Amino acid sequence: MTSIGNGLKNYISNQFESLGSNLVYVAPGKIFDDKGRFSNGGGGHFITTSFTQDDISVLKRGLKNTIVFPANQNPVEIKYKNTKKNTTLVGTTVEFGKYRNFLPSENNGRWFTNEENDKKSEVVVLGYQIAQDVFGDINPLNKKIIINGNNLKVIGIVDKKGSSFGGPDLDSFVFIPIKVSNRIVGNDHIQTISIWAENKEDISNIKEEAKKILLSQNYDKEAFSVFDSSQLLSSINTIITALTVALTGIAAISLVVGGIGIMNIMLVTVSERTKEIGLRKAIGANPNAILLQFLIEAVILSCLGGLIGILLGALGTFAISKFFPAQITLSSILLAFGVSSAVGIIFGVAPARKASKLSPIEALRYE
Amino acid sequence: MTKLSSNKNNSEIILELKDVVKSYNSGGTVFTAIKGANLQIKKGEFVSITGPSGSGKSTLMHIIGLLDNPTSGQVLLEGKDISKLQEHQLANLRNKTLGFVFQQFNLLPKTSALENVTLPLIYSDIPSSKRNDLGIEMLTKVNLLDKLKNTPAQLSGGQQQRVAIARALINNPKIILADEPTGNLDSKSGDEIMEFFHHLNKDEGRTIVFVTHDPDLAKQATRMIVIKDGRIC
Repeated sequence: MTSIGNGLKNYISNQFESLGSNLVYVAPGKIFDDKGRFSNGGGGHFITTSFTQDDISVLKRGLKNTIVFPANQNPVEIKYKNTKKNTTLVGTTVEFGKYRNFLPSENNGRWFTNEENDKKSEVVVLGYQIAQDVFGDINPLNKKIIINGNNLKVIGIVDKKGSSFGGPDLDSFVFIPIKVSNRIVGNDHIQTISIWAENKEDISNIKEEAKKILLSQNYDKEAFSVFDSSQLLSSINTIITALTVALTGIAAISLVVGGIGIMNIMLVTVSERTKEIGLRKAIGANPNAILLQFLIEAVILSCLGGLIGILLGALGTFAISKFFPAQITLSSILLAFGVSSAVGIIFGVAPARKASKLSPIEALRYE
Repeated sequence: MTKLSSNKNNSEIILELKDVVKSYNSGGTVFTAIKGANLQIKKGEFVSITGPSGSGKSTLMHIIGLLDNPTSGQVLLEGKDISKLQEHQLANLRNKTLGFVFQQFNLLPKTSALENVTLPLIYSDIPSSKRNDLGIEMLTKVNLLDKLKNTPAQLSGGQQQRVAIARALINNPKIILADEPTGNLDSKSGDEIMEFFHHLNKDEGRTIVFVTHDPDLAKQATRMIVIKDGRIC
């Protein structure tokens, strides 16, 4: 249970790291409420606002030690030979590749250049998944794909990013120079602005500054959000924590049920071994020795259960890790052992006390 | 001189019962099993307690064995009143001063003869390294050295009782208490057990108290205590 929660948290942190650090995002709509949680009805799915090239210029002038770069996003259909796919066309600049970690690795081509943007060269960089979907085994480099009737040459394939939960599937995006996308989609609206900060410490200042600048550009304060990845991360973590708590609650119920099972088994054991208890007392076992003996037996029993549980959990985690980012941590193993010992002690006390309080004579006579 | 000798006399009385009464309360009716017993057992004695069934001989044995508390009266073990002792102190006395042999043998099943014999040592804080040596010594004494690893199910009744005697002897107790030790044995094995008790009494000077309903066996003891209707005759 906890391994699922932990896995999710780590997975999401990694996701954000792979999207670049020291970044501030400006997106349309109100994404967070005042308490930093995701606000209802917010998010980028119902984009009503868009930014302009003018906003970019003002931000660039207003923010020191930063790199500001725009991106527009439009749904399009891409075509290669007979294969057609719906995807999101991202028009952006050279900086996007560098500062958001989208540069193709060696042998996978390259990101486009400033020159290509200025010349409106018809080149395209494909996300990992869309390249797979459209080209399959064929190497997409230097092939031409058709977007809205334009032939674009594939010059690079981005490494796999993995889909972020609830967020866009970046692997299915295609990236082209912004000036080309403006022409293809017929407008120059900008949907997101990324601001890369030279120093991590400046991020909160930059967020404040960016907000002021955009408000001075006559945007309503509800119309846009300025946030950084840590903010996004903490909001998502809040959700996952709630999820983990719920899962732990379910686990706790099964622990109580299991504990009662152990208590039952131990009570039966004590009755079955009444004669043995009587004998041990007759030959000199004091009540504490008997108590300890049955308590240890209960703990061994529950720890064995814990061990089986950990093995099954590991197997289960392994099985679902194919579809879901679950992972086992040392702390969850220790927790499992700790909890099963505790269950053994808590639910073993009653039977062990019963055993230790038996009268030796009656216990010896017991058949 | 007189003082010294009287001291010696007192120390020879290893166990004494004074006006011991034991009654049970079952479902509102009070049943008195022992109706005022006075008894002295001296060091080195071989005593039998006998009487018809229901006469209270087993109850008496349990009181002597510190397994049961008298309703009134005193039990003195080596001159000490045990009625004020706590449960763990009684357990310690049972462990170190007394050795029990039961009619049903009461060996732990699925446990080897050696482990059965060394069981009392677990409760007397003897290090495990010494336990096995002592256990082997005791099993040699009862002639079962070749059965160390056997479980009770793999032993005959007589052998099981010998394991039980080895267990009773392992802490070098002051008194050996046996409750119908031959009751579950054929006559040949029973005779062997009785012979062994005689040997322990004569050659090692051990104090032995045993309960039997068989008058012939009872007569083998150096002193016979007959109990009828909860009274010592």
